Amino acid sequence: MSSRTGKPALRSAAWRISLWATLAFTCGTIVVFIFLDRFVASDIQRRSDAWLSGEVGVLGDVAERTPNDALYNRVVGEVAELASREVPNRTVSREASNDSVFFIQTGSDGALKLWVGDGDGQAHLQAIQAHTFDVSRPLSIRVRGYAIPFRVATDTVNDGGRVYLGLSERDQRRVVFNLRMRFFALWLSLVLLGFAIVFFTSRRTLSHVRNIAEAASHIGESDLKMRVPTTRGNDEIAQLALTLNRMLDRIENSVHQLHTITDSLAHDLRSPLTAIRGKLETSLAVREADQAEPIVSAIEELDRLTDFLNKSLDVAEAKADALRLHRSTIDLNELLHAMIDLYEPSMNDRGIDIRLHSDGPIHIVGDEGLIHRMVANLFDNELKHLPPGCTVSVSLEQADDVVRLILRDNGTGFDPDVRAQLFTKPVKGRHSSGHGLGLAFVDAVVRAHAGAITAENNEDGGAKVVLSIPLAPRQSARAQTAHAG
Amino acid sequence: MRLLVVEDEHDIQSFLQQALFEAGYAVDLARDGKTAEGLAKGNAYDILIVDLGLPDQDGINLITRLRQIGVHAPVLILSARRSVDDRVRGLEQGGDDYLTKPFALAELLARLRNLLKRNAPQGSELTRLRVQDLELDLLRREATRSGQPLQLTPQEFVLLEYLCRNAGRVVTRSMILDKVWGMRIQPDTNVVDVHIYRLRGKVDGNGQWPLIRTLRGVGYVLQDR
Repeated sequence: MSSRTGKPALRSAAWRISLWATLAFTCGTIVVFIFLDRFVASDIQRRSDAWLSGEVGVLGDVAERTPNDALYNRVVGEVAELASREVPNRTVSREASNDSVFFIQTGSDGALKLWVGDGDGQAHLQAIQAHTFDVSRPLSIRVRGYAIPFRVATDTVNDGGRVYLGLSERDQRRVVFNLRMRFFALWLSLVLLGFAIVFFTSRRTLSHVRNIAEAASHIGESDLKMRVPTTRGNDEIAQLALTLNRMLDRIENSVHQLHTITDSLAHDLRSPLTAIRGKLETSLAVREADQAEPIVSAIEELDRLTDFLNKSLDVAEAKADALRLHRSTIDLNELLHAMIDLYEPSMNDRGIDIRLHSDGPIHIVGDEGLIHRMVANLFDNELKHLPPGCTVSVSLEQADDVVRLILRDNGTGFDPDVRAQLFTKPVKGRHSSGHGLGLAFVDAVVRAHAGAITAENNEDGGAKVVLSIPLAPRQSARAQTAHAG
Repeated sequence: MRLLVVEDEHDIQSFLQQALFEAGYAVDLARDGKTAEGLAKGNAYDILIVDLGLPDQDGINLITRLRQIGVHAPVLILSARRSVDDRVRGLEQGGDDYLTKPFALAELLARLRNLLKRNAPQGSELTRLRVQDLELDLLRREATRSGQPLQLTPQEFVLLEYLCRNAGRVVTRSMILDKVWGMRIQPDTNVVDVHIYRLRGKVDGNGQWPLIRTLRGVGYVLQDR
């Protein structure tokens, strides 16, 4: 029932599977990307440091070899300017002056000898003097007035002074940032793609399972000829479908076997019964009334035997879920009214009152003949076991997608000895005159209609039998929309 | 009226022959499908009674075959199988009615009468039924006995109408349940009897000559003479 309602996409196990798969995939890719990021960032740093060291070496050479005159400043300035243009991944600054590169030459006393760059260079010199420099290794230095630190390399000049070349880390950071953004976009799309792929493949796979479950739930309610859909290939799902179908083959086979046995048993018993009954009836016609009595009672016994045979076969078939249904849409309300009209005089004769509580038409799809016999069984039961003065109350209720037929009486209730096995096998109360198949048959019919039955004693003593049978699909759908709205 | 009974069980054959003869039918017998086919080709029967379990073939095949060779007489199927499938299949393949073994002779005779009536040209629909001094007005749903109106419930009227339409013939309890209540059930209590007793109390009360007679082990009959 429940498999046919609700939104299948939202309740699919595909969500759970794809969420877990995506989580695992996300963690894995995060680790890989962090590793890549570290590697790339340190590589960029290394390359930029190598460039800085090379350039500062060149500038140191220039400082040593060029005569220290007015021309020198321009030469060094040009070299620094040119160097700054060769910076890897450089962005052209919007401002006229170049603030991403600076050059400082100090004398042996540490005083500023030459400055190329943005501003007057004092802030840069102060920042540099706060650090001890190793010639071979560039350092990151924060300069007052600049948000982003400079990477500074140094070299010694033969006059005892030093040259410093500083490069803003801005471009490097930008490169790393861009790289990270691309990584992130790539990672996000990979995760989403992975989620989508896992979701759709698992959904597709599970939809086969769902189809199989859906088909299987329809099989067996009376129709054993249906099979679950099979998929191509040889995977687990295909195996599941094949196994189920093989199982259904076997079940259908046994049920068919059972039908054959019951049919031939019925046939072998019925033919002699027919002959005997016919002979008795023809001989009845020629007898005087006083001679007829034994023949009449023999005919009545035969009819009881026939009825017992029919019921036993029905119960046996129904126990094996092999009752053959001839379905049509039935209004239970109308059916109960007709049955009560039929039974009321007999009940009244025995001092029993019968009442029906119903709110109007309730439709089910079922075998009308079987439902008639089922209700007849229930009423026969009341008629045979209720003491005079009692009341039988029949109520018909609709709850969600089932209809409940509740039969209550205020008699002595079920005998505790037999209550436990009311539906499992033929039972007879201590004073019963029936053959005890009544409730077993009722149970069989209810189950053949995909319903359920319970029997218990009321608190005040009487018996209570509750039959739940699924509503006709259309009415059930209407009931659901009514509930939703 | 001439009938062909196709039935292989000797016991059933013999009592059918006797009972049908007593009911005024001329009866021919066939033990298997082949004989039946030959007889049906050479004779004009009013009704065929065919058992489904024949030694040489399935009764349904025989019916199909008979329809093919131009036998149009109504067919009453007898069967020891009682499933709805068989009933439906039999009726689809050209059978006209279906009776499950064991059956009451009264029911067999009633079904034969129905089949003959179905084949006969339809007369105008009756609006009044009269059996001796009992009269039923089918349009106004009123009944009188010796001119005295009977106070019947609608259900009792339908029951009495059914008895009147079959006046002089036996009707069984299961026939009553089928035709009056539309139910094919076999209650193991006396529900039908109680309805009949009540009806009898109204129809045959006041010390009048009893019309509704009980035939124990068989059913009821509304006597027409």
